[in-house]
Amino acid sequence: MKRKRAEKDAAASTPTKKTRADIPGDDLEDEIAVAATTPSKRTPSKPSLIRDLHQARTNGATNGFTNGDLTPRTQRKVLFSTPTKQREDEPVDGTPTNARNPIIRNADRSARRKSAGRLIERTISGDQSDEDVDEEDTLARQIWDEDEEEAEEDILGEVDEEAIPETPSKRGRGRPKGRQRKRSPTPPTNLPPHELYFYQNRPGGTKTSNNTLPSHSLLNHEEYFVQLQSYKDPHADCLDFLHSVHTRSFNQWSFELRNNFNICLYGYGSKRQLVQDFASHLHSTLSDPPTTIIVNGYIPTITPRDILTTIATALLPKNAKLPAQPPALLQLILSTLTSEPPSQPLLLIINSLDAPSLRRQSTQSLLAQLAAHPSISLLATTDTPTFPLLWDLSLRQQFRFLFHDCTTFVSFSGVEIDVVESVNELLGRSGRRIGGRDGVGYVLRSLPENARGVFRILVGEQLAAAAADEGLGDEEGEMSPQTERRVGKAGKQREAAAEQGVEYRVLYHKAVEEFLCSSEMVFRTLLKEFHDHQMVESRKDALGTETLWVPFRREELEGLLEELIV
Amino acid sequence: MEHQKCYLFKPQGGRPAKRRRLNNSDLPSSWPLREATYNELWATQEKRIKDVLSEVNRTTTGEITSFVSASATESRTSAYKIPTGLVVAGPSIASHRTLFEHLGREIVAQTRSAFVLLTSAECPNLKTLLKNLIKNATARSTEEDEDDEVAGNASQKGPKLLTYDLQLLYLWFRIQDLDQLVVAFQDSEAFDGSLLGEAIELLRFWSDRTPFVLLFGIATTVETFENKLPRAAKRCIEGQKFDVTQADEILERVLHAAIDGDDVPLRLGPALSTQLLDRQKDHVQSVDAFVEGLKYAYMSHFYANPLSLLLRKDLKFEQMSGDDFEAVRNLGSFRELAERLLDNGEAALVRSLLDSDAALFNYTRGQLDEGQLKVSSMVGALETLNVLRGCFPKMPVIPLSSLYVRAVSGELNGSPAVRELLISVKKASSDIFIQILDSLLAWTPEDAQSIVCSLRERLAALMESNEDCSTPLRSEHDLRNETLRTTVVAQKVELSKQKSALSKRDAAYSKLVDECHSRLEAYFAEMFINPQEIFLHEIFLYDLKSPHKDAFTPRPRYAVERALSAPQDYLGCDCCRPAAGNDGTESTLSSTQPATTIMYQLYLESGSLINVSDLWSAFQAIMGDDDDEQGLTMALFQRALAELRCLGLIKSSRKKTDHVAKLAWKGL
Repeated sequence: MKRKRAEKDAAASTPTKKTRADIPGDDLEDEIAVAATTPSKRTPSKPSLIRDLHQARTNGATNGFTNGDLTPRTQRKVLFSTPTKQREDEPVDGTPTNARNPIIRNADRSARRKSAGRLIERTISGDQSDEDVDEEDTLARQIWDEDEEEAEEDILGEVDEEAIPETPSKRGRGRPKGRQRKRSPTPPTNLPPHELYFYQNRPGGTKTSNNTLPSHSLLNHEEYFVQLQSYKDPHADCLDFLHSVHTRSFNQWSFELRNNFNICLYGYGSKRQLVQDFASHLHSTLSDPPTTIIVNGYIPTITPRDILTTIATALLPKNAKLPAQPPALLQLILSTLTSEPPSQPLLLIINSLDAPSLRRQSTQSLLAQLAAHPSISLLATTDTPTFPLLWDLSLRQQFRFLFHDCTTFVSFSGVEIDVVESVNELLGRSGRRIGGRDGVGYVLRSLPENARGVFRILVGEQLAAAAADEGLGDEEGEMSPQTERRVGKAGKQREAAAEQGVEYRVLYHKAVEEFLCSSEMVFRTLLKEFHDHQMVESRKDALGTETLWVPFRREELEGLLEELIV
Repeated sequence: MEHQKCYLFKPQGGRPAKRRRLNNSDLPSSWPLREATYNELWATQEKRIKDVLSEVNRTTTGEITSFVSASATESRTSAYKIPTGLVVAGPSIASHRTLFEHLGREIVAQTRSAFVLLTSAECPNLKTLLKNLIKNATARSTEEDEDDEVAGNASQKGPKLLTYDLQLLYLWFRIQDLDQLVVAFQDSEAFDGSLLGEAIELLRFWSDRTPFVLLFGIATTVETFENKLPRAAKRCIEGQKFDVTQADEILERVLHAAIDGDDVPLRLGPALSTQLLDRQKDHVQSVDAFVEGLKYAYMSHFYANPLSLLLRKDLKFEQMSGDDFEAVRNLGSFRELAERLLDNGEAALVRSLLDSDAALFNYTRGQLDEGQLKVSSMVGALETLNVLRGCFPKMPVIPLSSLYVRAVSGELNGSPAVRELLISVKKASSDIFIQILDSLLAWTPEDAQSIVCSLRERLAALMESNEDCSTPLRSEHDLRNETLRTTVVAQKVELSKQKSALSKRDAAYSKLVDECHSRLEAYFAEMFINPQEIFLHEIFLYDLKSPHKDAFTPRPRYAVERALSAPQDYLGCDCCRPAAGNDGTESTLSSTQPATTIMYQLYLESGSLINVSDLWSAFQAIMGDDDDEQGLTMALFQRALAELRCLGLIKSSRKKTDHVAKLAWKGL
């Protein structure tokens, strides 16, 4: 420490010295010491305070766990202390030249202390050259002064608060216990919506437990359907009532559609049955019911072409040849409708217009063009609360929508969403798709030996990464939120990487090392098999590195590994 | 069927038609007649509006069309620049599409050109832009002359061209009998500047073979557009600017068509018209949206109000039911009328109106016509007001829309707009006064003509006697006929006005002006009554805001949040109601509520990251921890979770295992 300071002192006192050639030996040593702390810093030609400050800060950010320091550290600066006193809590660490643990050395040097040191050095060395008031000195002075002010303010505040005048020097170091801001465990109630948003998004506010759902607790498809079959909704009557309320508007909707408006039904609950009933209603009350086409937007594989083809087949004679491209098909439909309009406008019913598969801008504008045609009436339903964001001004104008609140409270689970699948995806357990661990085991047994080998490596690596992550996670768990926040970024990255699994290259090399495959092509073929059975998921990050992982939870992976090894 | 992507709907059951039509009684018997009335009345109204709109469009499209046909005759030399029309269409982007579509039809019909419309959404880069350009142009031709062999492939012998090769366009163009190809960029501001530049330069290279005319729709100003283009591109084009009638001006004219005229059956009330006009202003909507709003007002009125039947001119007594008459008697304005009549001692009339349907029918027919006449003459007076204000150069022009809103809410009488005018009339010198009388002559109804005429004649007589015509006559209220006198009394300055002596002629003129002023004052006071005090105003003024608000500006987010946080509002069941003793504002959780709403309320309480395991424990605690039913509870839990995800409220999070991220906050 001293050594370094002396050196810096030398450098600072003779600012003209700029090249490393002047004292080569010293510089070399210094370089080693510094390189250990920040590898990026290569040429310590002139130790600058700014750089030092920066270094101190970065070290401070990492030392939380490199130290193995488990006691919670407060991030607040210690206010009532003289710079000399603070040296006491520096680790007494053998000889100053001992660079065994350089991180610690730098870590505890706060910006303020450094500034203080610098100022003192400046006075002691008595170097009164004209260059002494340089940038760094002013900075040092500034930092020192700022802190002084802050301290003074604090003292004044405290005196007011406690009403017992006390000389600040007599007080213990740090803040008095009573003054620490307490975070109440219960959240404040009755916050206005915007305040609630900021409250719930406050930094460090998202402290959740580490509990996880036991893997067997979630139901699979079979269990789910068994359970729901026996379930009787206690609100069935209410739902029927709501349905009947909406049914009463059928005549109004019919009138509105006749008048060239299109209708959009929104609100919570599946509106599929309602719309179906409306279609039946039209067909039973009108003497010349419109040709009705129902589109189920919630089906994930639906494409605009499906919709257009259905319309075209309804409009055109059976043997007509349809163009392949959707725009051409659309043109054909629109021109057919213009040249030979049907006696009644075609009724196009779209369930879940805002479903993910129809959300694309091009699809929406295509549908809008259909809806804008006077010979097509559109009755669409939307489920999400934010569907109007799909349309800009001109799309909205083309749609000519009248909106009606049709809250039905009917569960989407019947048709619109696959509950079990959706929840598994939500929780990152999509591996359950292929029948869980047993399914994978079954597939593996039918695969050749080397394929199993590759899978074993993948699972093993993933588990190892998870284990490493676990260890870190435990440490983090014991740390105070402040330290956790400091380490947060690095920790999170590691965590995400662990979750993402194994890098493609790594896996390949391991497989080659174990003579499981000879070329990358063979390796790819093996992987493809896994992909086909959805036993492996992969993702490319921004840099193009591909990572692979097995979409299972840890205990399941362990089970799999056991099976593979045996 | 529900797992099919799309299918043709077929009603179930053989012929339920007859059975159903019988029990289709939820519509009142008068509805068919009302719908017919609506169709007739709206058709005439719509025609008036369409006439206005096409009139407005004709002027601009006419100019542009002639520009296009003129550029066809230009010779294409080496220094040739692409003729370009800069169509400044104003900030209401929603109306641009209709404008350009209309323009396209006109150009194709009147000149020998093809028209291609490009929008920024379909042209993210040059390749797609060219592809779209070629596709749109060639697609149009195949639908027009299908007997021709397919243009591109048949005539093409060389190697197969790429879909974005302008050679394709050229080949197509060669066999068409056309002079030029018009390419319109609908929203040129939204295009990338360099993309436009490249496209222009490229088209310039081809313009010796395929003569192009470019049209740019501009929402801001020509200068902004010019700055956007690269210099090289600017050199390739020769622009001409076309100003399209701005949307708010069109709106005024449409509104005028919608309210002015004796045959306008239904007018908008103050609240609704304010709402419609505000929506127009706030959301920069196209005029079409306003027309839609108006149409919906007609629709709602005729659909929901049985008395709208009375607007039918040839309505017969038999066509109204007893209920309808009861409804008339229950009108607020009927009650007011009855009180008024009783105050005037006409109890017999009130009695007969209450007792006899026939008497009521006849009376209402008469009164309805009278009421409508009053409103239409009020609208006429608005125009008189505006024309008179136009006579004074310094008076600001008030748009008809805002005058109408004020008039129809009964606020115009004695309002600053009228007072200012009346004061100015008083002070008018004879040259302005002549103008006033002339415009009055043109605008006032027949019965008032004679009065104006006599005033005009008397003024003419006065003017003749005035030998030196250089100085106009002045009224006594004119400031120039007053002098300010300052006197110092007890060290205080006193200001006093003093009328200078009037010449004889001026005095005579002042009398004339005073007479006109008082007549105008009386006229305005008579015209600007509060229409909501007229008997039967409920029938010819439609002023319900909520149907429009619900149908045009829905609040889906609020609706979903409300459904989930207060399910009892929708379900109307007792079991989910907050427990007694609560003030009702705070929602409470109970196991009887639908699973998703319970989850939603738990969701509201949690932070931005939610532990699903803890959520499950909380959910289980609310549902009651009966071990037998744990499977069912889990099923409901999973279902609720999936629904929240489907609604876009949560998404999976990679931050921690078994955590989901919260995506929406209530009430924001």
